[in-house]
Amino acid sequence: MFNGGTETQYEVLWPRSQRQTRFKSLAPRLETLEGKTVAQLWDYMFRGDEVFALLEEGLKARFPGVRFVSWREFGSTHGANEREFVAALPQRLMGLGVDAAISGMGC
Amino acid sequence: MLRASAACEAVGIPSSSLVCEGFIRQAAATSVGLGMPNIPVALVPGHVGAQGKEELRRNILEVTVERVIANLTRGPAATQESLEPVAREIIFRGDFKAVNRYFVENELSDGLPIVPPTREEVEAFLRFTDRGPDEVLGVLLPDSRAATVWSIAVNGVMAGCHPEYMPILVALIEAMCDPDYGVEHSGNTPGGDTLIILNGPIIKQLGFNYTQGALRDGFLPNTSVGRFWRLYLRNVAGFLPHKNDKATFGNTWRVVLAENEDALARIGWEPTSVEMGFNAGENTVTIARYTGGGSFSSVSGSGPEQMLPYLADSVLKYHTWHMTFTVSHGMGSLRPLLVLTPLISETIAKGGWSKRDVKRYLFEHCRMPAWEFERYLRDWTIRGVWNLEEDVRLGRIPKIFYESDDPNRRVPIVWEPDDYMIAVSGDPLRNNAYVFAHNGFLGYPVGKQIRLPRDWERLLAEARNLEIGESRASD
Repeated sequence: MFNGGTETQYEVLWPRSQRQTRFKSLAPRLETLEGKTVAQLWDYMFRGDEVFALLEEGLKARFPGVRFVSWREFGSTHGANEREFVAALPQRLMGLGVDAAISGMGC
Repeated sequence: MLRASAACEAVGIPSSSLVCEGFIRQAAATSVGLGMPNIPVALVPGHVGAQGKEELRRNILEVTVERVIANLTRGPAATQESLEPVAREIIFRGDFKAVNRYFVENELSDGLPIVPPTREEVEAFLRFTDRGPDEVLGVLLPDSRAATVWSIAVNGVMAGCHPEYMPILVALIEAMCDPDYGVEHSGNTPGGDTLIILNGPIIKQLGFNYTQGALRDGFLPNTSVGRFWRLYLRNVAGFLPHKNDKATFGNTWRVVLAENEDALARIGWEPTSVEMGFNAGENTVTIARYTGGGSFSSVSGSGPEQMLPYLADSVLKYHTWHMTFTVSHGMGSLRPLLVLTPLISETIAKGGWSKRDVKRYLFEHCRMPAWEFERYLRDWTIRGVWNLEEDVRLGRIPKIFYESDDPNRRVPIVWEPDDYMIAVSGDPLRNNAYVFAHNGFLGYPVGKQIRLPRDWERLLAEARNLEIGESRASD
């Protein structure tokens, strides 16, 4: 605090703190979905079961050789055990030979 | 959803995240905290909860499919980290009005005037903790910022707290960092807010209100500590409205609920702190998030037999869609809170009932027909994948949820009696009560001990003398 004139003047501090994550690169993208295996990751909310069925239909129409690993294989991505689920996810995906993932529902 | 996507990207698996139209800005804000601001999202037009089958089909096949393909096959836009200030950096100089204008314009304030956080004020707070200013209590999602002791002091000043509240503020942020609490969910759409329950001798030492007018603003410690919580969620965790905070309907922060430990001691009921695993007489904070609830009036009778039916009926009626935390993805994380006045709790205790007896009663009487329970999840909130019969058969949920196939069988709203929490506060001589509808694992109850600095009594005496001196000087 300092007196810079008639009004009291304040020198104020930043109320935030440093972010602990640096920006990271994303995974390389695929050239095509043809012949690839796509995982369906669902938080078991907001009609994801219907949405994934529709996406399968639409993607297979464009890429007949695309394969899917159903959300039933993984269980919910959201819930009381979310942190454990996310920590174990990469290993599970690699074990299933997954090339790409679709994750929903952000609603 | 985005956290799962980020885990994929980190190991070289490209992802596409399905995001409804109203959540695009939240996704953009959250992705920065994940360190992947360009993580691709695929638009789902409108909101799936208000669309018929044909409309949903059209939206997914005509819009979302193309976005998913693009997300998985085209390189994302380049990103660049923006420079931010550092701790202890002076970010602005000016008079009171100018400081407040700066804080509002830069989304650093809740809209009410703040106390300018100067170095002198911050250092006064730091005297009330033995922890170092740069000590990190945890990393808070979604912004992934360090919860430092320094930042606690800065936000405590801003909220209008007194320096001697600092041990409470530190304990609160320890609780916020606890993974069991689930701070990362604080921006979910039901807009729940955290209730802080305070226990221990510190209630009286610092002058918290624990009698008539509990939960009302107007008492500096209760109000300013509640405001601090919300400011810290905003400034350090990163929950800004229209960004990471997606509350459909929010409300102002909740002022601190201090328990009436005199009343509890008279009737031999344990305080909330003991329920949370601490010893009676310890200074503690307990936090949990609640989406609603309310007061109910005139719980009448001369004993538990008259009062408890009304209490149980009200607890049940304030919990509706919350069944999603009982089964489905919540899996037994619902913890309703009932706040009784001393008059009600004393009348119940006079009948020889312990707190545990009351919880058992609530467990046995807060029940609804199975068909109604299922309707909340199946028809009204379309909550995911669950099946009471299968979940019981596979041992995922207690047997009590499927003891027969009678749709009229009555099922509880929690897994066991101890899931109910009971606190005592409010007007000692009025027979009203309050129920808080809980937000499950998206704000699960967590308790922390308040650690006082070594020379607490001396520091407190000095602070009081200083306040008296300032008061006289202004007369």
